[in-house]
Amino acid sequence: MRKVEKKVDQYDVYRPHKASIKKRRLAGNIAAYTGLILISAVWLIPLVFLIFASFGVNADGTGGAGVPSTIFPEHWGVASYVVLFTDSQVPFMRWFLNTFIMALATAILSSAMTIMMSYVLSRFRFKGRRFMMNFMLVLGMFPGFLTTIVLYYVLKMLGLTQNGAIGGLILVYCASSGMGYYISKGYFDTIPKSLDEAAYVDGATKFQVFYKIMLPLAKPILIYTVLTAFMAPWGDFVFARYISFGYSDSYNVAVGLWSLLQQDKIANYFTVFCAGGVLVSLPVTILFICLQRYYVSGVTGGAVKG
Amino acid sequence: MTKKTDFELLRYSRCKRGAIKFSYWFLSIPHKLKNLLFKIGNFFKRIFLFFVNDIKDIGRTFKKGSYKTKLSYVFMGFGSFARKQIGRGILFMGFEALYIVFMTMFGSHYLARLGSLGTVAHEYVRVLVNGVWVQQIVYHDNSFKILLYSIITIIVSIAFIYTWRLNIKQNKICEEIEASGKKVKSTKDDLRSLVDNDFHKTLLALPTVGILLFTVLPIVFMILIAFTNYDMNNTPPYNLFHWIGLDNFNQLFGWSSGSKYFSAAFGEILAWTLVWAVLATFTNYFLGMAVAMLINKKGIKIKKMWRTILIITIAVPQFVSLLFVSKMFTANGIINTIFHTNIDFWNNRWIARSLVIVINIWIGIPYLMLITTGILMNIPSDLYESAKIDGASPWKQYAKITLPYMLFVTGPYLLTSFIANMNNFNVIYLLTGGGPKVTNSFNSGGTDLLITWLFKLTVDNHNYKFAAVIGIMVFLVVAVISLIVYNLLPSTRNEEEFQ
Amino acid sequence: MARVQLEKVKKIYQGNVVAVHEFNLDIKDKEFVVFVGPSGCGKSTTLRMIAGLEDISEGTIKIDGEVVNDLPPKDRGIAMVFQNYALYPHLTVFENMAFSLRLKKNPKMSQDEIYKRVTDAAKILGITEYLTRKPKALSGGQRQRVAIGRAMVRESKIFLMDEPLSNLDAKLRNQMRAEIILLRKKINSTFVYVTHDQTEAMTLGDRIVIMKDGYIQQVGTPIEVFDMPDNMFVAGFIGAPMMNFIECDLIKDKTKYYVNPFDSKILVDSSKGTELKSKNIKTQKIILGVRPEHIELASKSSSSAFACKVKVCEMMGSELHVHGEVKGNDIIVRIPTISITPDQKEKLLTAGSTIYLTFTGKVMHFFDKETKINILTKHKNVPVNK
Repeated sequence: MRKVEKKVDQYDVYRPHKASIKKRRLAGNIAAYTGLILISAVWLIPLVFLIFASFGVNADGTGGAGVPSTIFPEHWGVASYVVLFTDSQVPFMRWFLNTFIMALATAILSSAMTIMMSYVLSRFRFKGRRFMMNFMLVLGMFPGFLTTIVLYYVLKMLGLTQNGAIGGLILVYCASSGMGYYISKGYFDTIPKSLDEAAYVDGATKFQVFYKIMLPLAKPILIYTVLTAFMAPWGDFVFARYISFGYSDSYNVAVGLWSLLQQDKIANYFTVFCAGGVLVSLPVTILFICLQRYYVSGVTGGAVKG
Repeated sequence: MTKKTDFELLRYSRCKRGAIKFSYWFLSIPHKLKNLLFKIGNFFKRIFLFFVNDIKDIGRTFKKGSYKTKLSYVFMGFGSFARKQIGRGILFMGFEALYIVFMTMFGSHYLARLGSLGTVAHEYVRVLVNGVWVQQIVYHDNSFKILLYSIITIIVSIAFIYTWRLNIKQNKICEEIEASGKKVKSTKDDLRSLVDNDFHKTLLALPTVGILLFTVLPIVFMILIAFTNYDMNNTPPYNLFHWIGLDNFNQLFGWSSGSKYFSAAFGEILAWTLVWAVLATFTNYFLGMAVAMLINKKGIKIKKMWRTILIITIAVPQFVSLLFVSKMFTANGIINTIFHTNIDFWNNRWIARSLVIVINIWIGIPYLMLITTGILMNIPSDLYESAKIDGASPWKQYAKITLPYMLFVTGPYLLTSFIANMNNFNVIYLLTGGGPKVTNSFNSGGTDLLITWLFKLTVDNHNYKFAAVIGIMVFLVVAVISLIVYNLLPSTRNEEEFQ
Repeated sequence: MARVQLEKVKKIYQGNVVAVHEFNLDIKDKEFVVFVGPSGCGKSTTLRMIAGLEDISEGTIKIDGEVVNDLPPKDRGIAMVFQNYALYPHLTVFENMAFSLRLKKNPKMSQDEIYKRVTDAAKILGITEYLTRKPKALSGGQRQRVAIGRAMVRESKIFLMDEPLSNLDAKLRNQMRAEIILLRKKINSTFVYVTHDQTEAMTLGDRIVIMKDGYIQQVGTPIEVFDMPDNMFVAGFIGAPMMNFIECDLIKDKTKYYVNPFDSKILVDSSKGTELKSKNIKTQKIILGVRPEHIELASKSSSSAFACKVKVCEMMGSELHVHGEVKGNDIIVRIPTISITPDQKEKLLTAGSTIYLTFTGKVMHFFDKETKINILTKHKNVPVNK
């Protein structure tokens, strides 16, 4: 029997404990694992349901059924997937290609502009710097959609809407990408200035410092920037909808698949939507998982240094 | 009453100390306001003095300058050519020439009509086509183009004035250099500095132009639209729109007769936008932190797997997951079938609002989990050990160590997250379309945010003037909140506290 | 009463990595014990096991007779000072020190009591004027004092300190060392102190526990470990500059013993000789240990002298540290400047010159050539050094 010591001093008491440390820890771990399994289930369930729904077909075996009421579709088949590639009203390949082209162009152009802006703001001190940063901060407080209204008309005059929407959208995505400099700038700020100084002493120009030293060192944030720039057009709805509206051939996947859910189409095309959704999610998710650590380091590093 | 020093205050309990400090702060507000007004006054005074000095400088340069300088006042770039700076000379002179051409052929035409925004929009004309008289429509003034091109003209003119001033300054500097016997920069020097000392100008050129054309210009345009009556009935090229001053804002706040539904709808939607932003931000924040702490707990294995599962939901494009989830909750959708219920989720405004917040948690937790995990791992572990030895329970450790640290580091992020949620178009629009529909609400719905309402007004009603007004209001709300929070946040004041 | 007993305590990590081998120690009430050793020797791990921050793999730790293996840290009645201070950055110094006091529930401490305790401790440590500041506004030494103060206010019976002076610069370290000695007189607690610096161990400890690779090499008072090191590691670790180790022979000549470093012949002093005789030590190869301060200059002609070439001579002020070389072996000698003539000093300061040295026969240590254990040690189970 362990005897519990009475008060040692008035304030430092040996308190009798309830359960030993080990037992408490085990109970805690069990609870934690249960919680995690529950959470994982809840998070994955909608995606699992999506995959199930995409295999739903009509009673007669053709693709394209309506919104399911049950977890498992009443009728199974791959016909809904086939619709994506065969139905002329659903030019999925076209949408996919459009989005891919836009993603590629945006990844290159937009990242370039963002990196240029963030590098300058991080490395150089010039007269209008503070003003520029504050000005862009204020500009960012306006809802982005406002600019689209004007841009639509301008692009229309240049012929970059409807059937020229791809070019127009690329322009919209990339032109102002300099404003998204925060995360990259935060990263550049962590590279010690003494590296630059050593290079200057060695005789390099600022341009050489930029592409010989800084860019290689900034590889993680470069990958993050390119990755997020690439992934943006796949998910963009607002701008794409506004600029390419009505011209089905110019839709990106988001607007295209959304159009399948409109009143007139949903009863016959919901499962096609699901199939399209799965096909879009797959490459994006795989790309994301492969480059996961860059995304994570970008988010955690830059997002919070603010 | 003399203020007690911090040291003297130590005798009081923390509550009392806090109350006393608050009262000191409160009593100092008038003083702070006075200082603020002073600062603003000084700011304007400085700007005014700047211009005055600048003009004096222009005059002085002219008086003191050689013939090269004097002639440059009229022929930009003359001084540069005279000093053998060919590159600069071409740039200056070329710009002047282009500007003159621009103004005479283009700019002045539109600028003249800026006040009226056009007098005659269209006209029917009888034209002879293949021997037959046919009625054709001919377009004259286009209010949209007038406004747009006028703005462009104004911007270009400002750029021109700035360049002209730059030209003068260059002359002055060159004069000084020559007077001291040194050489002025040649074109070759200029080009070389573009990759060295002036490299930032090279890099900034393209992004800045992009932002100017594609963000600044449209926003200025839209701000001005808020003072016009550009809507469905007043659409160019068939119609004109005109300046109507503050009329739209009067309607917004219910001060004028206009549609009283508009201001009522605005109030309701603004309230919901703010509530939504607060709930969305903070539920995600604390729940995300909880999940991150759960995964980070000592006894949990394969942490990476748990995190990857959550990260997958980030990878799947939002429009796919949101649209699908939206259909899961329809009247005879999957959810109702599983639980054998019959809840009409999307048609009841309050259920819809609650559901949107819940689904947003599903979307948002993985991001927050990522961010907080990174920070959690940076908290020095001996803080926790010391607290353990002192006898702090896990909850106390969270409240006194984890939470203060997290709030400090993520303070700015919380603000940007709040603002992003205020403008979170996707979640609301894709889930509910802004619905359910509410009567007499100016085309707004039960879950509409200001931003989705803006979208609907534009796309469905072509009511651009109100869209612009709402856009400005969003800006004002965001700006005010940002300013207040920035000045209250400790992180912006005590930066190295946690290092 | 705060007696700490460690009985057969072991710490084994995953993958069968043994950080601390069987550790036995009996710390008496109000004793100041120092765990000292190179990095990775297990001293911090042992301390943390006493604190409750690490699980005990085998063995028991008793505080005042009660087994505390399963007790969480807060119930063991200990206070700890961390190497990196572990101060809460967002709290003022006052609140940092008051933190643990505010956690007490039955009975709850009133603000007046907290104020008194904190200000008393602050006065002793000389940090009263910093009470309203936050840690970021303090220097290293001040933060260190706050960390000590935070442990002090708890008035615990056991004080644990994990390399508290490691992060300070040399001058500050000397200063704080003296202050800790003064502090010890004011506080009536048992101290367990961990450091890698043998100077701290020697000056602060009532008893020193020298550890290496998870094993206790020796436990003893500073004088004991200095004068009678149990093995070569302890001999080399304690005392600076390091003891010289020379391979040579221990020769028994009827009733006397000689050693023959570098072809000289030095008589072992009679007291040591008696000891050797009582243990029946025969002629054998040994490693001879001589501290630099026990080497003297000799005359060329003496039979107990050997020649040494001077490599480098450090002028320390009151003494010279001569780094020399004899037959490929490096030797360090400490020579008080006051004991030599200017001529000799000149010679010593010239690199390359030859000097003649000898040892006094009184203070020599003999280590077995294979096990490196002191031949004359009275302790059993002395760890073998490789």
